[in-house]
Amino acid sequence: MHDVFIAGAGMTRIGRRSERLQDLMAEASHAALAMAGIDAPELIVVASMNPEEFVGDGNFASSVATHMGFAEVPAFRVETATSSGAAAFYAGFAQVAGGLHRRVLVVGGEKMTHLPTPRVSELIGRSIDPYERSYGATMPALAGLVTRALLGRHGVGLREISQVSVKNHAHALRNPYAHFQQAVTLEEVTESRIVADPLRLLHCCPISDGAAAVVVTAERAEVRVAGIGQGTDTLAVRHRGSLTSFLATRAAAHAAFAMAGFGPERIHFVELHDAFAPFELIALEDIGLVEPGKAGRATLDGDTALDGRLPVNPSGGLKARGHPLAATGVAQIVECVWQLTGRAEGRQVEGRVALTHSIGGLATNNWVTILEAS
Amino acid sequence: MIETIHASRCPRCETVVAPPAAYCPRHPVAMAPISVPGVGEIVTFTTLHSPPVGFRSPLHIAIVELEGGARFVCHGAETRGLKIGARVAIEAVDRVYYFSYLGALDRARLFWRRAGHAGERVNAIARSVAKRVWKGRERAER
Repeated sequence: MHDVFIAGAGMTRIGRRSERLQDLMAEASHAALAMAGIDAPELIVVASMNPEEFVGDGNFASSVATHMGFAEVPAFRVETATSSGAAAFYAGFAQVAGGLHRRVLVVGGEKMTHLPTPRVSELIGRSIDPYERSYGATMPALAGLVTRALLGRHGVGLREISQVSVKNHAHALRNPYAHFQQAVTLEEVTESRIVADPLRLLHCCPISDGAAAVVVTAERAEVRVAGIGQGTDTLAVRHRGSLTSFLATRAAAHAAFAMAGFGPERIHFVELHDAFAPFELIALEDIGLVEPGKAGRATLDGDTALDGRLPVNPSGGLKARGHPLAATGVAQIVECVWQLTGRAEGRQVEGRVALTHSIGGLATNNWVTILEAS
Repeated sequence: MIETIHASRCPRCETVVAPPAAYCPRHPVAMAPISVPGVGEIVTFTTLHSPPVGFRSPLHIAIVELEGGARFVCHGAETRGLKIGARVAIEAVDRVYYFSYLGALDRARLFWRRAGHAGERVNAIARSVAKRVWKGRERAER
């Protein structure tokens, strides 16, 4: 297997955007290519969870490639629900690691804010088991079920969960690319309206538009991909033995660490999938970044803040940077590349080894990626 | 009367799923159809305040671990005072499953119904038979 590097990383500002999705993906792609100093990639891997329904366009890899001036560059699309961006990154990584290509552009994007919220919720909800959907299960509903089970455990209360939102909003305040440039207090979070009891509005990520891109190369660059792993679990949440730990995350982390040849103790900072605030606490423990039962305490103690022992979501996370579905997995990698190369102005953290974690569906198809300054 | 829930069991890992599935989610083997009693314990629950189109707010959803082993998704009329681990019965209304919380009052009622006078018992049996006949006729009409 060849060493794989990331030579360029770019993204759009996340939020409510008026441009077409193809424009957003071109903006992110050209920024990544400019940072890499590359005119054209040999291959483009496109991630978009559901452009057919969200924006009404199909044959989407060709649509994006043609739109950004690469009609003659081979392109294909990858999809694993909300972790599609991370899956596309894996596809690009595998192409370079296997020696099939030397320069691959990976771009993920989604555009949703032009649709009414119930419609967006319904479209995202199609990644849920059909029987559970027939009982009205939406993503927030399943997350509410997970959160209720989590609250029954020692060491996690509403305060610990809410602090995740407070912290990630504080981080996003320093990120010009973030959806929310606004701090929230613990009271504002705990008193926001109930979405899926015990989950409240400010525990949930917003609906966002945006795109992110990276250039993966065989030529040595500033950041090396140390490991990458995928983990999966049953589509139906009711078929799982545990709701307070995600098998898909544990399996993905195990595979990524095995490839890297080291464990969680070497990780300096992370970007985790906090589509719902309690998921950040679950991921911290599932990946082995904190001891079981200690994620809540670590969050309250400030260990996971920008100036803490292990900064978690320096970008603001899905909660505050925003979650344009297929853009997210790539945006997490963009943030880590910027951090590792000293480009994260205003929110720069120290560290040479970073980890990203992306959840597909309700933790049915997860990815963990480990990056290292080379 | 306790509902019968249709389920299926994996011959390899003994996992029981409801409703029945063709293949075990974790093994590529055909599942065997079984039925399990509609009683169990609450694993977790939530109340949705912005339910999807076609559902009324507030929408109560729970996962119940049935005595036969399967975890079952159902609705409920209320989740106030409900706790994880609470004993519930599953009831089908119009082919949609609901859990009914066996609170202190319900348990007491159940106890008294069982321990009540013979006349009351006869009444209860008569009511149950009437309900069955009524349901049977409903089914026949469909």
